[in-house]
Amino acid sequence: MARMLKILVGCLFLISLTGCSGILDPKGIVANEERRLFFDTLALMLIVVLPVIVMSLSFAFHYQASHRIKDYKPNWSHNTFLETLWWGIPCIIIVVLAILTWKKTHDLDPFKRLIVPNQTTQTIQVIALPWKWLFIYPQQNIATINYLVLAVDQPVEFSITTDNVPMSAFFIPQLGSQIYTMAGMRTHLNLLPTSTGKLEGLNTQFNGAGFSDMHFVVDIVTPEQMQQWFAEVKESSIPLTNDTYDKLLKPSLEKTPLFFSGVVPELFNGVVTLYMNSFGTEHPRSNLGHLDYSIA
Amino acid sequence: MLEHLFFGKLTLSAIPFQSGIIMGAGAFMVLVILATVVVITLYGKWAYIWREWLVSVDHKKIGLMYLILSFVMLLRGFSDAILMRSQQALAAGSSLGYLPPEHYDQIFSAHGVIMIFFVAMPMMFGLLNLVVPLQIGARDVAFPYLNSLSFWLTFSAAMLCMASLVIGDFAQTGWLAYPPLSEMYYSPTVGVDYFIWSLQISGVGTLLSGINFIVTIIKMRCKGMTLMKMPIFVWSVLCSMILIVLAFPVLTVTLALLFLDRIFGMHFFTDFAGGNVMMYINLIWAWGHPEVYILILPAFGVFSEVVATFSQKTLFGYATMVWAIIVIAFLSFIVWVHHFFTMGASANVNSFFGIATMIIAVPTGVKIFNWLFTMYLGRIILATPMLWVIAFFTTFAIGGMTGVMMAVPPVDFQVHNSLFLVAHFHNVIIGGVLFGYFAGIVYWFPKATGFKLDERWGKWAFIFWVLGFYVAFMPLYVMGLNGFMRRVNHYTNVMFQPYLIVAAIGASFILIGIFLLIGQLIVSIKNRQQLRDCTGDPWNARTLEWSVASPAPVYNFAHLPVVDERDAFWVHKEKTIGEGHVRPKNLHFQPIHMPKNTPAGFLIGILAGITGFALVWQMWIPGVIGFFGMIVTAIARTFDTDTNYYIDEKTVKETELAHLREMIECIGK
Repeated sequence: MARMLKILVGCLFLISLTGCSGILDPKGIVANEERRLFFDTLALMLIVVLPVIVMSLSFAFHYQASHRIKDYKPNWSHNTFLETLWWGIPCIIIVVLAILTWKKTHDLDPFKRLIVPNQTTQTIQVIALPWKWLFIYPQQNIATINYLVLAVDQPVEFSITTDNVPMSAFFIPQLGSQIYTMAGMRTHLNLLPTSTGKLEGLNTQFNGAGFSDMHFVVDIVTPEQMQQWFAEVKESSIPLTNDTYDKLLKPSLEKTPLFFSGVVPELFNGVVTLYMNSFGTEHPRSNLGHLDYSIA
Repeated sequence: MLEHLFFGKLTLSAIPFQSGIIMGAGAFMVLVILATVVVITLYGKWAYIWREWLVSVDHKKIGLMYLILSFVMLLRGFSDAILMRSQQALAAGSSLGYLPPEHYDQIFSAHGVIMIFFVAMPMMFGLLNLVVPLQIGARDVAFPYLNSLSFWLTFSAAMLCMASLVIGDFAQTGWLAYPPLSEMYYSPTVGVDYFIWSLQISGVGTLLSGINFIVTIIKMRCKGMTLMKMPIFVWSVLCSMILIVLAFPVLTVTLALLFLDRIFGMHFFTDFAGGNVMMYINLIWAWGHPEVYILILPAFGVFSEVVATFSQKTLFGYATMVWAIIVIAFLSFIVWVHHFFTMGASANVNSFFGIATMIIAVPTGVKIFNWLFTMYLGRIILATPMLWVIAFFTTFAIGGMTGVMMAVPPVDFQVHNSLFLVAHFHNVIIGGVLFGYFAGIVYWFPKATGFKLDERWGKWAFIFWVLGFYVAFMPLYVMGLNGFMRRVNHYTNVMFQPYLIVAAIGASFILIGIFLLIGQLIVSIKNRQQLRDCTGDPWNARTLEWSVASPAPVYNFAHLPVVDERDAFWVHKEKTIGEGHVRPKNLHFQPIHMPKNTPAGFLIGILAGITGFALVWQMWIPGVIGFFGMIVTAIARTFDTDTNYYIDEKTVKETELAHLREMIECIGK
């Protein structure tokens, strides 16, 4: 038992040194800023939290009745200076934190475009489908399922909505910031990858039985490789037609990515307005027949 | 047709015979109920239970029943936790674990609902009922019959929630049932309806209790106890109850609208035809955020009482404490958006709610410093209640810190929905609310039962709980930062598995802690003669409840106390030092006017449970019968004018003299 515990603790230590993902190992500008902000707030809070922990343990130990400390003031219950001190210091810390929050919340607003000189912004439309992600590159007129290719150092703007699946959330932890995806609405997320490599993207908002499998691959490549990939997809795969899209609307898990050389025109806007302008008692996708959301 | 009106959607296929785990749990539940029934029958105690408990309007008995309910539900809620922890510890790489999503999703939804509504809330009301009337020098709450009704509504709601285990299913939506997932289109089973009706019924019970305690505290304080002379616990309860009265109607309306959406095809929260999903999320958190302060404020009150008593020193900064509670209560209403910064609101909106959230850290920090300086220059006795308080300081400081960090919107964009969040709220709810209630239960247990809880068992339970908590939840912080989300059924990255195994080990430590608590109770009942509190003041405490016998007599105070200072009992003891213990000023007793027991609360509660069950399954005939049954019972009760009685002076005198004799004997020893 003790040996097992040792091995476990050893494993944990090793992992915390090497196997970081998420905010601890950022690969993009936004995630990097968020990581810094995380540790700044941690430091600010520790100014109060550490003394509290030390004081609580040391007071509890030192002033035990059995220690018979001479200094015992059973009725000492007010001291203006001390009370001003502990209203004041937290106030100052929170003021600093509030200024930081105001500034960083505006800087890191997911809707705000990231500008890089001499660089165009890649636009990608994202539709959350029942337990898979559809990515449309409108400028290139191609699409993929569960596979995202981004160019390093090129800003990317995602426009995001949902079709036939409950509210979800789009998140690439190592690039930064997640955002909800909602039917009939369009949210935006601006990111900027800074190094190449394969990352993981996922849905973070529980949306039914297939939730745990709603992952996608993010491949960050050089701009040249990106152009090459566009060309490959254009040539080697079939287009996304209305029929194919209807099949994708049914609940399923896609373990392997799919690629489409063309997309139904205005698919993304069509999906948003479909829900926005719908009326009556029928779900906009009820024409697909009864769908079973209970099994993944 | 008639069959449909009678049974609605309910058929035999609603019972999940194919799931071994559910049927096993169900069989266990039935066995426990049967065993209880058999034992009661064998001992011929049915009349006693009916007369002394089920129809009782005595706040102390209702308080104990709340605590029993909360412990039973804790066992259920914790079983869910063990299932989740073991599933996640197993389901790494290509393994899918042993719980399929449709079962696992019910478990985490039920875990949240049960722990908040049927463990934390009843535990809070249990403490309130035991303590508040005694602390303000009153003989009962303002509306004793309403109090009984509130309990039975909560009880029925809990049983409705339990019924979903074997009849049908529970919501597979998470504990707040966000639409559109909770709408008919995505969740066609009765799971969400169970969620709606168990919350509606317990919500009404809670709201009624809130009103009851506000009136009790405002109107029934003893002579001389002005607001600024109330014990801090009473202040914290007052603010918490005000939050209940303001917040719970929001919950009731929100769930009613969701019900209309589901059953009558309306579009308040659908994601099409003009419904607004974010409206639900705003509304549910406009209730949900105050709810966590409803739970934590009374815990803060407990800490204030326990710290002062066990440091043998006056609470530091009383006025500051009161204002801190009031400020926290106010701020709790303007921070709800921090639960969904990621919905895409503008940076101005997010900053406002983020900063408002951080400001709460200031009065909370002030309270902690006041507690610390109550200990400073005191004479601390490290009894179990005080140990819980000391564990609270460190644990809550860490939980508060991660809370403020998540109040910064860009940080939240990273850790929202992750295990970092899960670790945070368990950190404050276990480390703050639960530790506080545990401290309160150990502290006030002798007042309710007449004997103390065993210290040795209590300390072991404490050690396992605190250790288990840290082992179970600290790994989750690291995992959250590494991008591991909540509510995950299985995962491919095996790097996470060691963390989850450690977390599962932590959960099993807590399980041992729970067993030790049960052991403590059994041992204490067995040794109740040695643990007997004969003085009524086992801790050398400060407030009025300790000036009467333990257990407190039915009428609480033979003479209603008159106070002119804070910590009235402590001051009184200091003044009369050397004269032995406190005793009644005179031995001239008068008859005492008390409320009569009534079965109405029990009946209405049970009928509400039946109505709820009928509404879940759309069994319209039983539903209508249940509903009108409730109304008829309530009206019938209004015709009952014989609702009070007098305890004659002889009985009062005998009770008081018996207590005095026992006390003198005790001190003599």
